[in-house]
Amino acid sequence: MAIFPPFVAPASAQQLIRLHVRQFTMTAEPSTLRVGETLRLKIVTRVDENLLELDDVTLPDLSGFESLGDERQCTTAYRGSQCVETMTLTPTIAGDRTIAGATLEAIDAASGRAVRYSSNGVVVHVIGAPMPNYFLQALFEGLLRPFATVAIVAAIAYAALWGWRRRPKTAPAVVPVATAPPPPAPPPPPQLLGLVEALAAAPTRANLLAVRAELRRRIGAREEETLSDLRARGATGGNADLDEALRAVEIAAFADESRVPSLIAAALGPLDRLAGRTAGASL
Amino acid sequence: MQALIAGGHIVLEGPPGLAKTLACRALATAVGGSFKRVQFTPDLLPSDIVGTRIFDQRSGEFATVLGPIFANVVLADEINRAPAKVQSALLEAMQERQVTIGPQTFPLPEPFVVTATMNPLDSEGTYALPLAQMDRFLVKVLVDYPRAEEEVRILDRFGGATPALPENVVSVSDVLAWRERAHAVYLEPRLARYAVDLVAATRAPHDYVERGASPRATLAIAALARARALLDGRDFALPDDVRASAPDALRHRLAFNYRLLTDRVDPERIVADIIASVPTP
Repeated sequence: MAIFPPFVAPASAQQLIRLHVRQFTMTAEPSTLRVGETLRLKIVTRVDENLLELDDVTLPDLSGFESLGDERQCTTAYRGSQCVETMTLTPTIAGDRTIAGATLEAIDAASGRAVRYSSNGVVVHVIGAPMPNYFLQALFEGLLRPFATVAIVAAIAYAALWGWRRRPKTAPAVVPVATAPPPPAPPPPPQLLGLVEALAAAPTRANLLAVRAELRRRIGAREEETLSDLRARGATGGNADLDEALRAVEIAAFADESRVPSLIAAALGPLDRLAGRTAGASL
Repeated sequence: MQALIAGGHIVLEGPPGLAKTLACRALATAVGGSFKRVQFTPDLLPSDIVGTRIFDQRSGEFATVLGPIFANVVLADEINRAPAKVQSALLEAMQERQVTIGPQTFPLPEPFVVTATMNPLDSEGTYALPLAQMDRFLVKVLVDYPRAEEEVRILDRFGGATPALPENVVSVSDVLAWRERAHAVYLEPRLARYAVDLVAATRAPHDYVERGASPRATLAIAALARARALLDGRDFALPDDVRASAPDALRHRLAFNYRLLTDRVDPERIVADIIASVPTP
């Protein structure tokens, strides 16, 4: 089960259900089948809470499969509930199909933060066309094919006559449809230079924390890692300026308010070098 | 040192022969304080710890004899070998920082640190400390066997005829001054919240944790983080200080269930996983 960092806005997070998620897995049975045969994709969610139903599971992309049914059931036990969603699918094209993990958005009851849980993905091997049914094949060849041929010809003739009778007398007026303007492109991720310039212009803790967040993002810091953890695994890659900047920013970020401006001033040296900013450059 | 500066008491757990007693004696000597060692045995009485009143036949009056607890560093060796009432007498003194003998109340010296040792290997004839009493210790430090190169250095220092003795490097008043400075170390609100989140994480439903830590653990983490920052020469704490202080403050405050034993799970792994699950500020 993978957990992604919180992503929802606070207003949306309030609509999420609060859960202690213990298990969120997906299985496919069988994992090897032919086109036209059926498989059961089962998503199991085990939580500490007593649930009658769980509607918050987002199913993965199932292109290449046709859904024949979807069943959900929650059962409560001594400690919590187990909710199982079983989808009956049939593959429509051959090949190795990777079904990505299902996702569940909920409030982690332990931390109180919105979390997106992701189950494991599964790989389904779909082997070619289904095996021919010789009985049905013989029946079709002997009896059904001539009848089907006549029926198809009659249907085509009827459709042509119907279309000719309903042909339009005058060309319809073209009404222009107002289309909504395309949504604006999302802003590019904040660059370190801009953040450092903002910090130099306004040496506040908020601007400093933005620089700190950008530095951590750049070196791939996980949210549970401290500066010591990052140094221990060589996250800075031996970059002395980056290492110095991280240290200076960390100190300034947690000092008492009266010392923040002076510590920010001290941190701007390595930050300027790191961001390639000329000292004294204006915004 | 962190615990000494933070003003708390210590549990040392480890096999015999790992210089736990020597470490406590060295700490007391280094800070110029008095040191007393009490070997806890099943026949120990509370008066053997705190003191008692003895009738002096010559003067015809009762005289108070103070117990070994009246020292700056008290080593309570194998505390789990004494019965509950003796443990309670010690723990009450640790909490109150004073002892009442008869009609008089005697304050304990400052600084006052109790270092209790427990042997994790011999469980026969022991009285396990309840969690509520373990909670009164600031930290629990695990003492493990030294590495090979460390053991060679031990041989060099103590294998000869005259082993090196600890020296007095600071005074008791220095330690008290450090405590004052540690109290003034700035703990940014996000770090305070981080300490709260760490302790709250121990209270979340867990397969092996029956009950999590109390708010006393939060206070302990904050105090240790401040002491660590001071030892590092800073007057403000960092996330590393809080995170590094958490394991020592939490490991003896969690109640594990029997599945821990049956599944042969290392409790240190559980504490580390819980700490790692909490995002740092």
